[in-house]
Amino acid sequence: MHRFQKSNKLLLFIAFGFILFLLSNRVDELRVYQGASIAVYVIAISSIILLTGYSGQVSLGHGALLAIGAYSAAVARNEFNVPVVLCFFIAVLAAAFGGVLLGVAAARLTGPYLAGATLALAIGLPSLANQFTILGGEQGLIFDVGFPPLSLGEDFTQYKWFFWISALAALISMWLLSNVLRSRFGQNWRAGRSHEVAAQLAGINTGRSKILAFTISAGVAGLSGALLSMTIGTVSPSAFPLALSFSLLTGAVLSGVTTLSGVMIGAVTLVAIPEIADVIANRIGASERITTNLPGLIVSTLLIITVLFVPHGPVEQHRSRKAKKLLQKKN
Amino acid sequence: MTVSAVLAVASLAVTTVPAQAAEVGVSSTEIKFGMTLPMTGTASPGYNKIPAAVKAYFEYVNANGGINGRKLTLVVKDDQYVPTQAVAKTNELILKDKVMALLAPLGTANNKAVASVVNPGRRGIPVLFVNTGFSGFADKKKYPTTFSVLPSYIMEAKIMSEYIKDNFDGKKLGLIYQDDDFGDDALAGFKQAGINFAVKVPYASGSQSGTTAAGWVQKLQAGGAEVVILFGVSSATAAALGTAAVLKYAPQWILGSVGGDATTIKAAGVPAGVLYNAVGASFAPATTDTTDEYVKLFQDIYLKANPTQTFDNNVMIGMNTAFLTAQAIQAAGKNPTRKSLIAAIEKSGSTFASAALVPLNYSSTSHIGYNGYWFGKYSPTGDLKPAGGVYTVYTTDSADGAVVKSTYKRAAMPAKGLPN
Repeated sequence: MHRFQKSNKLLLFIAFGFILFLLSNRVDELRVYQGASIAVYVIAISSIILLTGYSGQVSLGHGALLAIGAYSAAVARNEFNVPVVLCFFIAVLAAAFGGVLLGVAAARLTGPYLAGATLALAIGLPSLANQFTILGGEQGLIFDVGFPPLSLGEDFTQYKWFFWISALAALISMWLLSNVLRSRFGQNWRAGRSHEVAAQLAGINTGRSKILAFTISAGVAGLSGALLSMTIGTVSPSAFPLALSFSLLTGAVLSGVTTLSGVMIGAVTLVAIPEIADVIANRIGASERITTNLPGLIVSTLLIITVLFVPHGPVEQHRSRKAKKLLQKKN
Repeated sequence: MTVSAVLAVASLAVTTVPAQAAEVGVSSTEIKFGMTLPMTGTASPGYNKIPAAVKAYFEYVNANGGINGRKLTLVVKDDQYVPTQAVAKTNELILKDKVMALLAPLGTANNKAVASVVNPGRRGIPVLFVNTGFSGFADKKKYPTTFSVLPSYIMEAKIMSEYIKDNFDGKKLGLIYQDDDFGDDALAGFKQAGINFAVKVPYASGSQSGTTAAGWVQKLQAGGAEVVILFGVSSATAAALGTAAVLKYAPQWILGSVGGDATTIKAAGVPAGVLYNAVGASFAPATTDTTDEYVKLFQDIYLKANPTQTFDNNVMIGMNTAFLTAQAIQAAGKNPTRKSLIAAIEKSGSTFASAALVPLNYSSTSHIGYNGYWFGKYSPTGDLKPAGGVYTVYTTDSADGAVVKSTYKRAAMPAKGLPN
């Protein structure tokens, strides 16, 4: 039964991938580009969900981990001419390494202290780029994955290429993550999150378990960072502002931090917010200052509303309501 | 649940995309351009007046029947002078707003990022009259659809060096510059001209403020700089001048053209008196020179559309760019395409009428726009005026060519300042 479910899930991922493939040939370029952004956000948000929702650790500084991935991919590409595929692996490894270091520190911290430490990282790390000439300062580095192979045809656009790469990366990482979360490690994380002492009594090394969660989460974040910089072509401190970390966190809260399956909700919302802001700004004929700050305002408002009304995210809310109804029926 | 979601997405996949028109951004009634620039943020002062200037001229053309019956329109996006934002916003302009061409996108780093990711060159999208003097953008091989318009920073530095040699020979020189391609281009020009600086102060784009400027001034003072060149954006110039005035440091200032707009500097709180006697450069007539037919017309058009604003150098350059654009579209034929627009500028761009006092250098092999400057001093009210009331224009190139006195004579303005 269990085995059947597993292969069933893999099939579902493949089917979804096939639909995305068909879709990318049908919709216009803007949607394809937004699709690529959604895929990038899916990966980034899932890394937060893993860390916060499953292992119970808070990170306000995921933007910094994205930056590590992006910078290492760009440096590998520009300085050592590493093939693009390998660049993404390097991004994962470099960010995961950063995650280990951070995880070791994080395992000793909880709650607001951990939040503060990661926040400091998000503020400090990107500006480190200004200290080393190899990182290109404020102007940053170009990260160019090259043109799509000619075998895909003359009309195959750069955006579609970005979409294919990021959608494939998203599908693979989601599949891997959903398996990891159902494995022993995932169960250990949840046990530690629910009751640390009880988990320790049950023989779980919660410290090591937390570090592992941080490492995997960071690796996934690194991948999304490299993909993000691919879609914008550059890596620079300004690409990883504090606002990015907060947007991702909002995305995770919207998705429901305790369920991986809601991740699309957060990702789509993050991509849709600038569009919505644009519509609103046009409707009311807002000034530039308002237009520029409106997306941030919407993100913050959404975060507050979600925390107030659906603290566990819409998916979880739906589930628990269903469960309650079932329970009532039984009674 | 999952199955229904999959089905929903699949049904979306079958809906088809509507057919494309003849040329993107060109309809029977309208031609759409798109611009990215800092409208908000540290680097925005001064430059955020450009869109209104361009729109004012476009509306003037439209009120006079448009170009072959089509109205010229402009979509503006704020990139806050951040390259990643420039890429995202340019994508929007191309994919969502479906503009025919990008017009005067601002910033060296921004244009470079856009060129590598959005890659308008490969997609045949014209990038007209980029608002940066980075010499590299005139490279037709690398940026096949991009047209420079401002004289390059190398040219500016070379001509400025000539001015320094003539007027401040033997004085200790200081330089404040932006630590990126914008500044590197200037450094290349000064090196070419054999200028040595006693103090060089680089600043990271976006870091300029009163506090950081105090550090600059300290360095300049410590190095004993008697003549200081400000080769940065307006906000950096204003920060340096304002802070130096407070700290009672008063060298001979020389302002680069990028950050030399007096209105912007004064709007930042720098008293006009601080600007007095500073040296500045321009390739267009002085904005206060209302005897100039272009200044008069542009000022009339702009102030009619924006009665509460001041007509300044950013506005004039913006309107001149709009004027060039209108002529380019006119030259691109009855039904302009992206291709015919590029061909038109290559073929007849050098003969376009313009407010500038230096020639345009477009040809099938050159995407270089203007190539010279005149130098003058700021008046007690903070207006840049040519020495002795006469514009002495020097031209040069971005390579090792000499700096020569220009013999260019600007042609008379076409009737009503409209493309003929």
